[in-house]
Amino acid sequence: MPLLDIRNLTIELDTPQGRVKALERVSLMINPGELHGLVGESGSGRTLLARAILGVPGHNWTITADRMMWDGQNLMDMSAKQRRNLMGSEIAVIFQDPMGSLDPAITVGSQLIEAMPQDKKTSFWRRNKARKAVAQKWLHKVGIKNTEEVMSSYAWELSAGECQKVMIAMAIANQPRLLIADEPTDSMELSTQAQIFRLLSKLNQLHSVSILLISHELDTLSGWCDQLTVLYCGQVMESGPTAEVLEQPFHPYTKALLDNMPDYSGGLAHKSMMQTLPGSSPALQHLPIGCRLGPRCPQAQKRCVSKPSLCHQKDRYFACHFPYNSEPCNDDTPS
Amino acid sequence: MGRYLVRRLNLFIATTIALITVLFITTGHFPVERPYALSGIAAPTSTQLQNITDNYQLNGNQLQQFIAYAQTRLGGDLGLSVTSQRPVIEELTQALPASFELAIVAGLIAVLLGVPLGVLASLSKNKVTQHSIMAITLTGYSIPVFWLGLTLSLWFGVELGWLPVSGRINLLYEIPPVTGFMLIDTLLWDSVYRVSAFKDAVFHIILPSITLAVLPFTVVVRITRSAMLTIMEQPYIKAAEARGLHTGTIVLRHALPNALIPVLKNMGLMLGTFASYAMIVEVIFSRQGVGSWLVSGIYQRDYTVIQGGVLGVAMIIIFFSILIEVLHTAYNPLSRKEIYAAN
Repeated sequence: MPLLDIRNLTIELDTPQGRVKALERVSLMINPGELHGLVGESGSGRTLLARAILGVPGHNWTITADRMMWDGQNLMDMSAKQRRNLMGSEIAVIFQDPMGSLDPAITVGSQLIEAMPQDKKTSFWRRNKARKAVAQKWLHKVGIKNTEEVMSSYAWELSAGECQKVMIAMAIANQPRLLIADEPTDSMELSTQAQIFRLLSKLNQLHSVSILLISHELDTLSGWCDQLTVLYCGQVMESGPTAEVLEQPFHPYTKALLDNMPDYSGGLAHKSMMQTLPGSSPALQHLPIGCRLGPRCPQAQKRCVSKPSLCHQKDRYFACHFPYNSEPCNDDTPS
Repeated sequence: MGRYLVRRLNLFIATTIALITVLFITTGHFPVERPYALSGIAAPTSTQLQNITDNYQLNGNQLQQFIAYAQTRLGGDLGLSVTSQRPVIEELTQALPASFELAIVAGLIAVLLGVPLGVLASLSKNKVTQHSIMAITLTGYSIPVFWLGLTLSLWFGVELGWLPVSGRINLLYEIPPVTGFMLIDTLLWDSVYRVSAFKDAVFHIILPSITLAVLPFTVVVRITRSAMLTIMEQPYIKAAEARGLHTGTIVLRHALPNALIPVLKNMGLMLGTFASYAMIVEVIFSRQGVGSWLVSGIYQRDYTVIQGGVLGVAMIIIFFSILIEVLHTAYNPLSRKEIYAAN
């Protein structure tokens, strides 16, 4: 049974220009112990998806879904309180901006201790000490050596990498089954990035935590993830095992991403144009109908004004009328 | 931090010098003889006149006179009161505790009621609750304090007869002053009527403190609300929610400490208005505080009382605004960051 199974999730935002479908019929399936990569440009709705899974929606959101199952339980039926409990114990998240995600007015240590699991067996006067010890243990595990110093400082006194490690320690201390890492290495130098990715994959291997890794860098994701989902403008373009997707992309967008990946072999001439798809990703107020890649797609034809449904081929999914290297499925229904 | 404190001390000294300069210049323009305006003695004998001339360097140039003036005033010699012929400093120290009592009670009412109500207004999803709280605070903010005081004493004091409308305590009780705070003095009083005297003092302070509390209360509510609204949208609140903390914990431990920082800052800014309102309230409810003392001094052309009162009250306000700023810096870790960066 998949750990998380989302089918046709739609998030509509109320904007001054009217209702906008920021995410349109997104499906995502995460198996236990899987490192799932979610790749997409900024503004493609990756963070919205993460927040919808967590259940911390914004005030102007309307969420509809055919199915949102967490380990056999329906997330849509749960009350806010149940969702909150689930968040603390089974799903954890690391946000994009680690410094902003820590309260500036109290020390890192007290926030960390607050996030540690309560052990009901220890007597209450020793509980605080025990939690502090647990917090230090987790800080050690994420690779912070001077724990005392870090715990007594404020968030703005630490570097972004240290903050991110603290956030990871908070997230994994409750031994979650799914960890959502939303751009965990945003604005960090390469060595710290590598450290954090290594830490995440170690967690995945040793504790079999499923991880949903959200990023815009296809080359980083392809190195770490088992499964890959490609998102464009709030629609799922393609999804499947990383190796197969990289080997033989079905969707024009995935292919464009792979083709346009810069190679650092030095083959690129000085001041030559970088290869990209023509145009730019549309703003939320001016989304094209049908397949949202349509206006930029090299393969686009008349039929692309109706949204292609997600085709299933072995363990790969794609949404395209004219896929590469494959036949389109014939259950296309105009939406 | 040490450097910061020295800078604040400098600010205090500089403001005090400016204040004394203003007082010195205005004293020169009082429509009376200079020795009289400075000392408060209407018809000095020749030895007294000689003393005054020596003390204030009246034969020297303006700079010498200013320095002598500053020295005497800061040395605690504020002259004699024209009307009562008692030292002004004595009258001032007698009147101060009553004003502090009123200000402390009103401030406590404003903060203890205002902060929870502001939090409630920010968390409430109900439009009716939100709008009614905002409407009430806006009304409170715009009511003139003299009208409010008179209306309250008319309703609750005269028509309903629930509460006394003037003074600090019933004339039946003869309370020996120990601390000057009536609420404490009645409790320290060695008499069988101690409890009833305390109750009477409480009844006497209800109307004036509520009148005075209305303005800071509305400001506290509005600022708490707007600060909470911005803070509840911050990423660290979302992160705390995503960690599965309860809403109560999030509000009390993460949102409120951050929201109180602007509240504290605005209290410092409001101090001057608060002090002048306190004076008006004291006059309306005829409580023997600095305000009514100073106002009656102005009515009676009591030049030494005017100088001494303005000096005392202004220095207290300056001191407290700087104290609040220092507290704000000490309490707010984010402003400490700015200090580190400045050094």
